Amino acid sequence: MTVHPRALDYPAAFLSAPIRDEAELTAGTRIQPGRRYGFFTDTTLCIGCKACEVACKEWNLLPADDLGLRGTSYDNTGDLGATTWRHVHFIEHIADRDGVRATEMPPFQSHWLMMSDVCKHCSPAPCLEACPTGAIFRTEFDTVVVQQDICNGCGYCVPACPFGVVDVSLEDGKAHKCTLCYDRLKGGFEPACAKACPTDSIRFGELDELHELARRRLASLHEQEVAAAYLYGTPDAPPDMPGHADGLRELNAFFLLTAPPETYNLPRAPTRPAERTGPGLAAGLATVAALTAAVVALFAAGRSG
Amino acid sequence: MTTQPALRSKPRSADSSRPGLALPSTRSGSGFPGRGPGTAIGEGPAEDGRIDTYYDQPALKASFWGWKVSTYMVIGGIAGSAQIIATAADLAGAPQHRAIVRNGRYLALAGAAIGAPLLIADLHTPQRFYNMLRIFRPTSPMSIGTYVLLGFGGLSAMLAAAQLRRDLSANYAPGHTAPRFVQLPAAALGAAMSTYTGALLAATSTPLWAAAPRLLPALFGASAMASAAAALSLTARGLGGEPLGRIEAMASAVELCLLTALRRRLRQEGVRTSFAAAPLWLTAAAPVLREAAKALDVTGNTAAMNGAVTARRSALFGTASAVAVLAGAFLLRHAILRSGNRSAEQPRDYFRLARPR
Repeated sequence: MTVHPRALDYPAAFLSAPIRDEAELTAGTRIQPGRRYGFFTDTTLCIGCKACEVACKEWNLLPADDLGLRGTSYDNTGDLGATTWRHVHFIEHIADRDGVRATEMPPFQSHWLMMSDVCKHCSPAPCLEACPTGAIFRTEFDTVVVQQDICNGCGYCVPACPFGVVDVSLEDGKAHKCTLCYDRLKGGFEPACAKACPTDSIRFGELDELHELARRRLASLHEQEVAAAYLYGTPDAPPDMPGHADGLRELNAFFLLTAPPETYNLPRAPTRPAERTGPGLAAGLATVAALTAAVVALFAAGRSG
Repeated sequence: MTTQPALRSKPRSADSSRPGLALPSTRSGSGFPGRGPGTAIGEGPAEDGRIDTYYDQPALKASFWGWKVSTYMVIGGIAGSAQIIATAADLAGAPQHRAIVRNGRYLALAGAAIGAPLLIADLHTPQRFYNMLRIFRPTSPMSIGTYVLLGFGGLSAMLAAAQLRRDLSANYAPGHTAPRFVQLPAAALGAAMSTYTGALLAATSTPLWAAAPRLLPALFGASAMASAAAALSLTARGLGGEPLGRIEAMASAVELCLLTALRRRLRQEGVRTSFAAAPLWLTAAAPVLREAAKALDVTGNTAAMNGAVTARRSALFGTASAVAVLAGAFLLRHAILRSGNRSAEQPRDYFRLARPR
């Protein structure tokens, strides 16, 4: 492991002030407004430690979830929500073929799939396109954030999200989701989940660099005969999956997966809800216009008769 | 490095019955870059048609909307279409339609006046309702609807005020009740009021609403027209006659067709969560049957029937079918809203809809 030369500037254990542009040391990227940032979540490296969930809750001061056991897997969080902005899926492949337990295991997360899910910060973002107050906006880091002082809790972003991420809190009546640590980015810090991830399954960085990193990782996995690996949410994703020109062009938080997207509760070909606004309004207005014409005709007939 | 027999064997058989636990399908002919045949994973539902889900956890969040929103959808539609009918009646200029014009104006204003508070009450932070007016977002039917409701409410208030002045004046002057440059925009916004709520639902990711983005707003529009005619015919004795009854029957007939088409489309798109259509069928069929019966009555029995009895019976039928149409309008919005929320929590419905095409 190489040490970033700037790290040598800070030999002391305790620092008197935050390190300027700390992300350069922890993520190898300097955070500057106007550039595009995101997450690359490589599920083949995830060990399911949930450090990302904890780091997210710690930094963003989010309350704990229901502490009950779900009885399905080691995932007792369940889903993303108003107070859960990182969520680790645990998918256990107990039965192999025809109920026979496998004696041989393929490499890289073969019988345990783990995946740290997060808001995808889509572009275009369906929640943002639905928001009637402008509370949801795209930041200078190309991330999507809900402004808490503007949101009036109309809840339209909740069914609009194609990934079931945004949620309205009944405690404060506002919509909440991952901010990609907007406050930390402004201070030059790497987002809490990525910084906490011990295996670098979650990588934070500039999108172009992340895409290149993902491409190299995918090639290396294919070389190692992990043929099932593919990317979800980048231009390198299989056709029809998010990351292509129509619909959701790109997900700023994208994933490397090794099973069908549905296994991770991800839709294969989600659409952009705003695409239906125009056709919906046009079809409705055309119907009412046709009925109106008939109404006018009926009244006119009444007059002549 | 070990090979991966599990990933290369034949597709999972139908008897592995534990959802979410079985390995993914391995159909060949992958569209994936840089991958040999027979190794495709992430390629589609297993060949037995089963879809893996994540322990049947919902993949979407359902909306929070309930009775306040579905009630708004009904009365907003009634208000919008009532304004259209009133304007059409006023422009036709026949004196016998004056009551329709008057009641239509008042009904339109009442709908807008009741609808807006209902929507505000449905917000989770209602004291910030005015933030809806911060921006205009053409991709968001809710933002479009905010301005439609605002404009419609304003114009309807002006028209109702003009109507009130006329009603209170002693000498009832002939001619139009209000200038056309107010009436026509009010009617146009009324058309938007009648149907935009359907587009609002369609522009989400909820399977039952997103599966038929054209049919749903069209259905809401037809239902709005039918229920406005029904509501108007109930506002005064003797209004349920010629034009209103026919408008009600015609719009209901369109609604019946659209309802059938919607159910068909939902099935085609793999949305198995559905809604009970039988009561909607009955309520929409009522005015159609009534008009058909009336037509038969007229052609067959005119001479034989006692005029007064026929009139009383037809008034009774008119009231009954108008009540049925109104009940159907409430039922329709409520059923679509509720079953839509339910469909959002069915991951298989969503995954079938969000398939590549």
